Parts: sequence; C-alpha cells; structure tokens
Amino acid sequence: MSEIVRGRRPLLVAGLLAGLLVASAALAPLIADARPAREIPVEDVEESLADPGAEGWSDVPAATVPLASAPSGVPNADDTTVREVEVEAAQTDQRLFVRLRWADPSDDRSASSPRAFADMAALQFPVNATTQPAIAMGSANNLVNVWQWSATNNTQELLAGGPGTTTVFQQPEVSTQAARSTVGEGDGWSVVFTRDLDTSVDNRTQLAADADVSVAVGIWNGENSERAGQKAVSEWYYFPFGPDDGGAPFQTILWAVAGVAIALVIAVTAISVRRTREEGES
Amino acid sequence: MAHDDVDIAEGVDHQVAMVMDLNKCIGCQTCTVACKTLWTEREGTEYMYWNNVETRPGKGYPRDWEEKGGGWESEKHINRSVGEIPSQQDYGENWEFDHEGILKEGEDKALEPENTDPEWGPNWDEDQGAGEHPNNYYFYFPRICNHCTHPSCVEACPRKAIYKREEDGVVLVDQERCRGYRYCVEGCPYKKVYYNAVTKRSEKCVFCYPRIEGEGPDDEVHPPACADQCTTQLRLVGYLDDQDGPIYKLVEQYEVALPLHPEYQTSPNVYYIPPVAPPQHSEDGETVDVERIPRSYLEELFGEQVNDALDTIERERAKVERGGHSELMEILQDKNPAQQYRLEVFADD
Ligand code: SF4
Ligand code: SF4
Repeated sequence: MSEIVRGRRPLLVAGLLAGLLVASAALAPLIADARPAREIPVEDVEESLADPGAEGWSDVPAATVPLASAPSGVPNADDTTVREVEVEAAQTDQRLFVRLRWADPSDDRSASSPRAFADMAALQFPVNATTQPAIAMGSANNLVNVWQWSATNNTQELLAGGPGTTTVFQQPEVSTQAARSTVGEGDGWSVVFTRDLDTSVDNRTQLAADADVSVAVGIWNGENSERAGQKAVSEWYYFPFGPDDGGAPFQTILWAVAGVAIALVIAVTAISVRRTREEGES
Repeated sequence: MAHDDVDIAEGVDHQVAMVMDLNKCIGCQTCTVACKTLWTEREGTEYMYWNNVETRPGKGYPRDWEEKGGGWESEKHINRSVGEIPSQQDYGENWEFDHEGILKEGEDKALEPENTDPEWGPNWDEDQGAGEHPNNYYFYFPRICNHCTHPSCVEACPRKAIYKREEDGVVLVDQERCRGYRYCVEGCPYKKVYYNAVTKRSEKCVFCYPRIEGEGPDDEVHPPACADQCTTQLRLVGYLDDQDGPIYKLVEQYEVALPLHPEYQTSPNVYYIPPVAPPQHSEDGETVDVERIPRSYLEELFGEQVNDALDTIERERAKVERGGHSELMEILQDKNPAQQYRLEVFADD
C-alpha cells in the first residue's frame, strides 16, 4: 500500500476521478429534475383548462421556448419582435389543452383598415405524428397541421405542405380562448388552444398516439405588420406522449458520465496495481 | 400567333389593353360611378375606387401614391422594390350621407358626411392644379389597374393568390387563395389593389372580365363599364397584339400612347395620349409660344418618350391643318367608332 501512495501519477488521476464523481453526484439531482431538451411536459388533469385564466393552469409546468424570425422570402422577414413564449400543456382523457403566453404590449385585435394587422399565434404539428417535417410549414410530401388563433377572434385549422400552400379546414376541430394577461413585467397574451386527442379525419394530427408528437410555435405581432412568413417561430419541440418519457438526453448524459467514471476507476486501478507490481519487482 | 413583334407576358395568349386620351377627359367621374355601382358597393369596398379620376398636378388617389414604392428595381424584373400600404386616411374614409333624411323626410340640413369631418378624400385637390394665372393648368387623369405585363403585385404574393390569366392577361385576385396579407397592395406601384377589411381579402379591377367574355344577361360582349359609360368615349379597348386595331397602332406604330410611370418597370397595358394644352398667355392676353403644361411635368409621368409622342401628334395635326390626311388623327378623332372596342378579334382562337 505504501508504494501506491508514493506513486504520484496514480494519486493525481485518483484525485481527478474523485472530483468527477463528487461533481456528478452533486449535479445528479439537478439533472434528473431538469426536463429533456425540447420537451413540453403534458400534465394530466381532471377538469377542462380551456379558459386561459383557469385555476388549474397554476399546477402545470411551463416550458420557455425561444423564438427567432422564420426564414422567408417576404419583405422584412427578419423584423420580428417576440423573443420567447411560455408553453404549457395539459390533458384530460379526451382533450389536449395548450396555453401560450407571450409578452406583447400592444393589443392588436383588428385587421379592419388597410394597414391594420392583428396579433396571431399558431401551433404546428406534423400530420403524420411520427415524422418531423420541414420546420417551415412542412413540405409537399410531409404535411403539417396548423392551429392558428388571430386576435380578430378567429381560429382556423390549416393544412400546409410548404410555405404558401396553406389551405383551411372547413370544419375546424380546434377551439381557442384568449385573454390579455400580465406576462413577465408587462402586458401580453394568454391563449389556450384545445382539441380532442382523438381524430379520425385525414390530414389531422392524431394526438391519441403512443409516440411523442412534435410541435412548433409561431407568433405574429400585428403592431409590427407581421403576417405570413414574417413571424417569430420556434424549432421543433415535442409532447412526450410516447411510452418512454425518455429519449431523454440528460439522463443519457448522466449515464454516460457515470460509465466514463466507472471505466476510469477500473483503468486507474489497473494501472496503479501494475505500477505497484512493477515498482515491487524492480 | 399574332403578336410576334409585340411584347406581351410569357404564357399569355393575348393581352387586353386600353388607351385613354387625356385630352378628352372632363373629370365627370361617370366612369368612377359606373365601376363603383358595378363592383364596389359591397361591404368593405366602400372606400375603393378601382377606377378613379384624379387631378394633375395633384396628390392623386390614394394620396401621394407615387411615393409609396413598389414595382421593380430594373427592367430585368429580378428584384422588386418593396412598397408600403397606404393608410385609410390616404384613401379617404367611407363617408356616410343622410340621403334618406334630406331627400325623403325633408330634413333641413346640409348634405355632408355625417360620420366624419373629412380632411382628405379621392380627388380632394380637384382644380388646384399648378401654375400662375393666366397660365395655370391642370388635367384629369383616369386610372385603373394596368393589367401589367410584369405585374409586381403578382410577384409579391407568397401564396400566388394573385395571377395573370392566360387567355388575355387580365390580373385577378383568387378570393379563395387570398389570406389578406396585402403584399400585393404594397407591391403595386400604382396602388391599384385594395384590402377589403370585411372579407379580409384583397380586391382589384377585374377589367370587367364577365363583360368582355359576354357573360352578362344579354350574352353580348361589352367593353369594361368605365369605357362603355365614358361621357366623351375617350377609351379604346382591345388587345395590344391585335395588329389591325387602333391600340396597336397608337402604342407600337405611332408611339403616341404611353404607359404611366414606365420607370416602375411593370410594363402597364393601359396607355395614355398625353395632354396638349393651349399655349401660355402673356399678361395682356396675347398667346405666346410656350407650352402651358411643362414638358418636365409630363416627363415625370410618362418618361422622356412623351417628347416624341407630343412631337408626332403636333406634326400629324399640322399635316391635317394643311389639308393632308393623317391616319393617326383619324384614330384620335374616332372617325371609325367601330374600331373603338375590338374585343372579339381573337374569339375563334
Ligand atoms: S397596376 Fe398594379 S395591380 Fe395592376 S397589374 Fe400592375 S402591378 Fe398589378
Ligand atoms: S367618364 Fe370619361 S370623361 Fe368622365 S371622368 Fe371618366 S374618363 Fe373622364
């Protein structure tokens, strides 16, 4: 034993190793609590949360989703104003509720003069829930289903296969409720989208699925004349409807760290033992 | 095809065209009213004048439309210049009058807008004109959509909801596809697409396509209502590529009918015979040899071409004054009314 203690390099490695283990042990609870990147948790609830002011929303965890200007050929496409949106989701046995909350000090409800544009928000889903279509309105062979709310008090359900291809569902199944609300420091919108989980209609995303469902968010600020491709959008996120809530990158990272640590322990031990022997032999 | 040496849009069989002789416009607005009664008496269209008659020099309708951008950056038609959407005030509000009360119930009050105290409206600056007495001047300027050969409104639409139709180049907004984004409104340099805030879609002059197709109750082909109703019959309607028609002759052969603001590069298919005003007068009423409407102003509207056009008109007129014959003057004087509307020449195509 005394030989090992004398050997300086093994000592150093062992020290680092101990540090790593302590660090990962300390981080572990944090990491385990953190959600997988891009997951928007879906809380099981008993009651309808269709009202954006419903009590029940206070128990639903929120994901803060960053937004950036969508790439688009329309004029001023990179001039958008909304930087992030809080997304919360809840489900009963029957329905999904998604609440979006974002800061927007100007309340633009009308498109009733030539220059007036209304605030809008949309959720985008792949029509085929197991795929992830092109983020910009899907593509011709990988369609997206879009739920669009406008502050003019209009909700539409759309189908798109790429920019400029939007068509409107004649019988929308999505409904919305919106309210002005305090978001962060100032005024903003709080909008709930809701739809039955189950659908039997072609080209409509099936939410009663055993797989995670991708979702993306888009926000338009009417005051800034945002419309069409001039909008702030997210990357693809997902609702963890899958059987394994994982796919979870952080847990994977945790296991990887642990694995490396174990391997290092074995390696260092082996080296030290060999050194000790060599030193003994010499 | 008949249009070998006429420049019309790719993929278009024939191109409808209109020539308006500005020398004959009396600003009566009969065309405006004909159009309005036919097309824009629906909800949301009250403020729209697909056909408007403005006074020049003046700010036009919508106000200062020439400063609102749109069109193309060059004749290559690659980059559009982004425009802006005129404000409701620039168009003028929708004025409401109490005709009922005054005319039927005999109320004793002035017939004036009840809902607003307007400070601007279509042709608000009528008769203002320019110049100093006795050499002041103005002229009336009727405008419709130009059904351009390179329509920047079409290019502006991300949904391809506005299109140039194949059979005759009429530019139309597909009301099913339109989602009210208004890129066409800002993209048209002539500001001839209008947003209907009730239907939440854009609308524009349709060149009275059901009339030119003979789809009306009498199954007959009619020219657009603005032309048909024009008090002085100053409009010729036909196809640019109809080489036997007067439009072709005025535009392509004599080059006296000119597009408005050719520098916008949309290649309009509405053409104007530029106005020729009486010469200036001296203080004591003597005629002097100076043009009343400055060429520089006409160049602003029609480009340098206007000089050749006016020179040609002057030359041909002088020829007739000397007792000679001029085909151009005959066309401009409508000596052959049968030629005024030639809308059935390609009917058998
Ligand atoms: S005048 Fe304007 S609206 Fe009409 S075709 Fe030309 S660009 Fe389009
Ligand atoms: S009807 Fe004819 S004369 Fe009267 S304003 Fe219109 S274009 Fe001019």
